[in-house]
Amino acid sequence: MSEMWPAGYVPVLLARISRPDSPAIDGYLADGGYASWKKVLAGIATGEWTPSKVTDLVKASGLRGRGGAGFPCGLKWTFVPPKEKRGNKPVYLLCNADESEPGTFKDRVLIEKDPHQILEGMMLASFALGVRHAYLYIRGEMVHGAEVLNAAVDEAYAKGLLGKNVQGSGLDLDLTIHRGGGAYICGEETALIESLEGKRGHPRIKPPFPAVSGVWASPTVVNNVETLCCVKHILDRGPDWFRTYGRNEKNTGPKLFCISGHVERPGVYEAPMGIPFLELLALAGGVKGGRKLKAVIPGGSSAPMLTAEEVQSMPLDFDGVAAAKSMLGSAAIIVMDETTDIPKAVANISKFYAHESCGQCTPCREGTPWLNKMLKRVVNGQGKRQDLDLLVQVASQMGNGMTICVFSDAAIAPVLSGIAKFRPEFEACLAKAASPDFALTAPSDVTEKVAGRMAEGIHS
Amino acid sequence: MAKVTVDGNVVEVPNDANALEACRAAGVDVPHFCYHPRFTIVGQCRMCMVEIDGMPKVQASCTVPIRDGMVIRATSEKALAARNATMEFLLINHPLDCPICDQAGECQLQDNAVAGGLPVSRTSEPRRLTPGYDRTEIGPHVIADMTRCIHCTRCIRFCSEIAGTGELSLIERGGHAIVWTHEGRILDNEWSACTADVCPVGALTTKEFRFRKRVWWLDKTSSICPGCEIGCNVSLEHRDQVVHRFLPRVNPEVNDFWLCDHGRFLAESLNGRDFLKPLVPNGTLPSAPGGAGRRETNWGEALGLVHEKLKAAQAGSIVALGSANLSTEENWLLAELFGKTVGSPNVEFEADQGPLRRIPNRKAVGADGGFVKGTVAAPNAKGAEAAGVRKADGASALGKILAGSLVPDVLYVSDAAFSARTADPAFAAKLRKAKFLVVHARVENPLTDVADVVLPVSGMTGKDGSFVNVQGRVQRFDAAFVPPPIVRTDLEVLLHLGRLFGSFETRWTAAHVFGKLAAAVPAYQGLTWEEPAVTGLPPSSSPAAAYDVLRPPRTSVDDTDKLPALAGKA
Repeated sequence: MSEMWPAGYVPVLLARISRPDSPAIDGYLADGGYASWKKVLAGIATGEWTPSKVTDLVKASGLRGRGGAGFPCGLKWTFVPPKEKRGNKPVYLLCNADESEPGTFKDRVLIEKDPHQILEGMMLASFALGVRHAYLYIRGEMVHGAEVLNAAVDEAYAKGLLGKNVQGSGLDLDLTIHRGGGAYICGEETALIESLEGKRGHPRIKPPFPAVSGVWASPTVVNNVETLCCVKHILDRGPDWFRTYGRNEKNTGPKLFCISGHVERPGVYEAPMGIPFLELLALAGGVKGGRKLKAVIPGGSSAPMLTAEEVQSMPLDFDGVAAAKSMLGSAAIIVMDETTDIPKAVANISKFYAHESCGQCTPCREGTPWLNKMLKRVVNGQGKRQDLDLLVQVASQMGNGMTICVFSDAAIAPVLSGIAKFRPEFEACLAKAASPDFALTAPSDVTEKVAGRMAEGIHS
Repeated sequence: MAKVTVDGNVVEVPNDANALEACRAAGVDVPHFCYHPRFTIVGQCRMCMVEIDGMPKVQASCTVPIRDGMVIRATSEKALAARNATMEFLLINHPLDCPICDQAGECQLQDNAVAGGLPVSRTSEPRRLTPGYDRTEIGPHVIADMTRCIHCTRCIRFCSEIAGTGELSLIERGGHAIVWTHEGRILDNEWSACTADVCPVGALTTKEFRFRKRVWWLDKTSSICPGCEIGCNVSLEHRDQVVHRFLPRVNPEVNDFWLCDHGRFLAESLNGRDFLKPLVPNGTLPSAPGGAGRRETNWGEALGLVHEKLKAAQAGSIVALGSANLSTEENWLLAELFGKTVGSPNVEFEADQGPLRRIPNRKAVGADGGFVKGTVAAPNAKGAEAAGVRKADGASALGKILAGSLVPDVLYVSDAAFSARTADPAFAAKLRKAKFLVVHARVENPLTDVADVVLPVSGMTGKDGSFVNVQGRVQRFDAAFVPPPIVRTDLEVLLHLGRLFGSFETRWTAAHVFGKLAAAVPAYQGLTWEEPAVTGLPPSSSPAAAYDVLRPPRTSVDDTDKLPALAGKA
């Protein structure tokens, strides 16, 4: 097995995954696991460790959320109202393990191969936030992952790392693994909260944000699996060590990348934040069959597509990808080579979004299937000459505040970027169309306006 | 109160208002579907999009709480474009089967599309079908047709938040989402038809009214539900002297926006008319069942006969029955005529105790648990009592007649259907023991079969008057249409009879009598015919938009010339 990290790099998040029996607690403890948790617990009585100290360390590390938005983790924690303001309401920590962004499979590796790393991260975050009951919401389809996590939680309770008065520290902490029902939208944090509460997974109107009113109307922090793993490592080795990874102060830490599509060795790779795209591509064995690179989706299917030219010098971190008018998202990099039929790829992605729309907001509920029907027609050679303009117009009226959550913004990103950047391919589909009155028209004003907006980066 | 600027106009609105309500207060009709003042805000139809200064993106106005100094741009280019977009999305899968849809004419989707939709459709994709979820009875009263549903979830929220029964929910997801009953349940609660009221489109309609009448032909009259003592405010909707339905009329003090199924479907019981002329004995007394011993005559002869019999009888042997179904004015005239003029001590009424009726009202707090409740199965028991008509009991004249210990010379029944017991021939036979039996009647029943004199009256549809509901609230109802020429209202009958005694004048109207009540009856003190105790709002042009009248002034649908120019209109 070739290494899943650059030569000379010492893996952090994936360090233990290839060990036999890596999910078991004995091996984890032997590797120095739960040292930070025990250290913090022991330091409570002496006053050496306080919640704010943990938060400050995370803030100092520059850790940004690994779930997609890249929001500074420590800052997010400070949004929880202080005791005076929230009264008797408990604070909840909710680990978002509903990993379902197409192209993303990094959390699954962590869950199945090194669950205690996640649990320790959750314990430390719970301490920092004053949480007495933490939840981990795992995607319904990850049956094995849920089994592994439940076993790990049982082990942690058995070793006295969870429960009442943990390690004699006076601290109570419970942790529950909750399995989702298998809806993409439940990865959206407020839909996740609704689903955890036993309701339909419908995103909530914001504000109020979960930090103020989340699970059962109580302050809630929702963090991604990888983010919480990073918390553990920051507590192990300190924020200064964490900041040695990365291109600049705003993009720090080790990062997992999911590379898929036309590469020789698709999979999860660990690399320092900010690794140039081409380096990561080389790590994955380069484009399959030595063919030419055509397009890249850098952050899961919700991220706008980039052309081969746009990714040549792109560093893979939050700001680097944003500078290229896309987003790092969940670092799910989908590589498409020259044989890729972009309209077909876009139609395929749009099918996913039409299937996964929760149905709450009109523009998304009606718009996603409409886009999909049109794209299907276009790639099947039944397109009409107005279709491209209509696709752009319809997609343009679905995003930017038209819906409660950003699902429809995600759904239109591949459509708008695909048409803006690969318009000739779509036009070729139309040219194949049987329609006798077919005649290619110049892009209308609207299309050009939208294409212009794309160039400015509608997601920035 | 907070000051909010809407399209340049400053309005003052309560601090807990949202931007949509502020717009309506400013007279800007922001279209919407999922918003309803009594339901939680879900902000999901995305129809009420506006621009708000300081917020970079367009906002669903119902989801934005107002702040003092907020500046809302409800008709800016961006806001209108957003609303046009939502309207287009709503219409691409809607079947547009308006010609055969029973909601046509009172459909919010239709209204909003006319007011602000695109002039053309840009879709050529096949429309969504919902096989298995079309034209299905999902309960005893409601028919669901999911092809028309626009997923506003008002009906779901009615069931879960107002009725508290939660029969409905969304099943499936996204474009396949269907509003349906939970598996194994039916939509059967006390107010199930309210789901059809709140449905902005024709997805939920009532079985009873479906395909009875195109709604634009309906005349609407403010009325009061006769079903029980709660006195829900209804819009009595009729055409060509036929009542087709009741819809709730908004009255925040009584029935709020709601109406129970029992009351609602009494509407058609107001139809039917068996007597067009007064009946008097034809000389072959006693009258045989079926009226064989009677003949039709004119009012002069009929009332003359009654007058004569009353004069000849012992005052103490005259019994007059008022009714909890008659207006307070009529009961009062009866009490005046028989109690004071004729001098009978036996002016009384009987009202049925019915099952408990409840209507959700958020003002009914405490022990009432959020409901206005009524147990008397007639609308005006309190009014009859207030008018001086005594409640019958075992010791009263009616009790004695039924026990057989009193055989009155004249029994004057002002409402042949004063009790459910009148449907029992044995009960009628006991009243028939009276030497002379006079009844006011609209439809035949065992009592009219055996009466000596039947005086044909209009029933509720033909008259106006007032009821006193369970809360002691005086509520007026209006005449819907003029009854056939010979038929009179109960009030007119009593006035004409009273005139023969020299006590009443026939030019008196219900309004006139109301004025006398205001002077004589404590419950009516200080009230006027024009303004009885808080009464409901006038019937709305559209039931789904009924609450619009809560927030005047508003741009009416007729004011199309005042509507802003629409983006994208050809």
